[in-house]
Amino acid sequence: MFGAFSSEWIKIRRRAMLLWGLGGGLFFAVLATIFTIERAVRTFNPFVERHGIRVTFAVLEAPDGLVHGVVDVSTLIGIVALCLFAGAFATEYSQGTLRNLLVREPRRVQLLCGKFLALASFIALAVVLEILVSCAVAFLLAPGRGITTSAWTSSAGLNDLLEATLHVIVASVGYGLLGAAIGVLLRSPGVAIGAAVAYVVPVEAIVVGAIWSNGDRWLPGQLLSALAHGGTTDSSYHHTLITLAVYVLLIAAATLMVFRRRDA
Amino acid sequence: MAAAVTTTALSKRYGPRLAVDAVDLELPAGVVSGFVGPNGAGKTTTIQLLLGLCRPTSGTAEVLGRPISDPASYLGRVGALIEAPSFYPTLSGRRNLEVLTRLGRIDRGRIAEVLAMVELSDRANDFVRAYSLGMKQRLGVAAALLPNPELCILDEPTNGLDPAGIREMRAVIRGLADRGISVFVSSHLLAEIEAVCDHLVMIDNGRIVFQGAVEGLIDAQQTDIVATPEHASDAQTLAELCIAAERPARVEGGDVHVQAPEDWAPELNRRAMAAGITLRGLTIRRASLEQAFFAITEGSKSEREG
Repeated sequence: MFGAFSSEWIKIRRRAMLLWGLGGGLFFAVLATIFTIERAVRTFNPFVERHGIRVTFAVLEAPDGLVHGVVDVSTLIGIVALCLFAGAFATEYSQGTLRNLLVREPRRVQLLCGKFLALASFIALAVVLEILVSCAVAFLLAPGRGITTSAWTSSAGLNDLLEATLHVIVASVGYGLLGAAIGVLLRSPGVAIGAAVAYVVPVEAIVVGAIWSNGDRWLPGQLLSALAHGGTTDSSYHHTLITLAVYVLLIAAATLMVFRRRDA
Repeated sequence: MAAAVTTTALSKRYGPRLAVDAVDLELPAGVVSGFVGPNGAGKTTTIQLLLGLCRPTSGTAEVLGRPISDPASYLGRVGALIEAPSFYPTLSGRRNLEVLTRLGRIDRGRIAEVLAMVELSDRANDFVRAYSLGMKQRLGVAAALLPNPELCILDEPTNGLDPAGIREMRAVIRGLADRGISVFVSSHLLAEIEAVCDHLVMIDNGRIVFQGAVEGLIDAQQTDIVATPEHASDAQTLAELCIAAERPARVEGGDVHVQAPEDWAPELNRRAMAAGITLRGLTIRRASLEQAFFAITEGSKSEREG
């Protein structure tokens, strides 16, 4: 499996992968941090609420205020991972390179797992970097707006930072697994990315909004978003973790079965 | 000599189409075996079956003595170029090979060696997207040679190569055989196969229509003796003499084409002399691989239709 992991890293280091995989997430993380701090208000009132502003200084001055912006856009960071994984797996089929890989590593489970772990490690590093940069941006902007940052550097603040980082990483890898499964299934990068994004963004939203109001407790995209937030009022942290673990097992098993059995 | 590849009733069905139909194959080790057939005959599917890339519908096969149901047990000793060479366009040729060496746990030192063998060393650091088709083909052969294979399977390795490239590819293939590597090379260019192979497998509509030595195949074909009388007006008389001796003959231009084995040429000369015909030329025209192929495939088509 290490061979597959290490060979995948050669492909990850391509400029386009770094640009989209790292640059995409970094863009959303920094933008969210800037908007969150710049649009925060000292007190909440009906006027700012009408303008979609939901963050007050008090929220940002809490220990977990440092990563408030990043966590808010964790779904977008996850969608970057979703596209990256779907594209990486589907391209091996569409480009014909999968056959070369299978000749050198015919143990398909090892190949798939090695490739997945390499992409997962890249996403984990990307999320860490995105959070570090967004923290730096937050520390730069907060004093200018009069937001107190002392709680961010307290032990509770550091603990919240680590927790949030871990949650966003796990959620992003979860989105990646979904992308990998769709990539293996559809085998065309364009179709796979389109289908993956369409499912996670509008389809789940429509299902929850119009058909199944309780869907945010059970649909994978909703649960991944809940996990990045460390659980929500509708879906507790433990419920989210357990349900996602079941999804991970099912999706991973189905993907492995399709990848093992299908002709290359 | 041990066989590099054996298959028994190997079949692969895609929906209603039988792409490979009960193929019994035996490729001797240490020689260059050619695999010929028209496009869509089943060459690539057979190769994919041997490489474990697809599962047979029925039948069995062994590669280097190991069953194809366990490709991990033999693919480390096999190099392959499958169909059009596929690489990552935004990685250099060298990096593309590195992906494969890491994956197959192959010594990285082999990269420089195989790049030199296919004469790509000076372009090895360029992105593959900047390569011509011929260069990609050579990189594909380099990738196949990476594991220092005992068996090298090359699917249409001369596709996209210019005449000089084709000649170099022939030399590479012969060089592999000289080092004792078994080579299984598919092509629809029969002249290429004839130039480089010792052993031949012909496939048509998923069925093997011939396998054996190239020489044996050509020898088994009807040869033509072409006699050129000194005076063109004698051609018809000479043809009638041959027909009287139960040798089919026809006149083309001033020549008489006689369907007869090579050793009948002296007899033809004697009969012409006896009839007062002086010959200006007497040549043996042996069937080419292409003629042999069409003779066999036409025969098998008639059998199927009959």
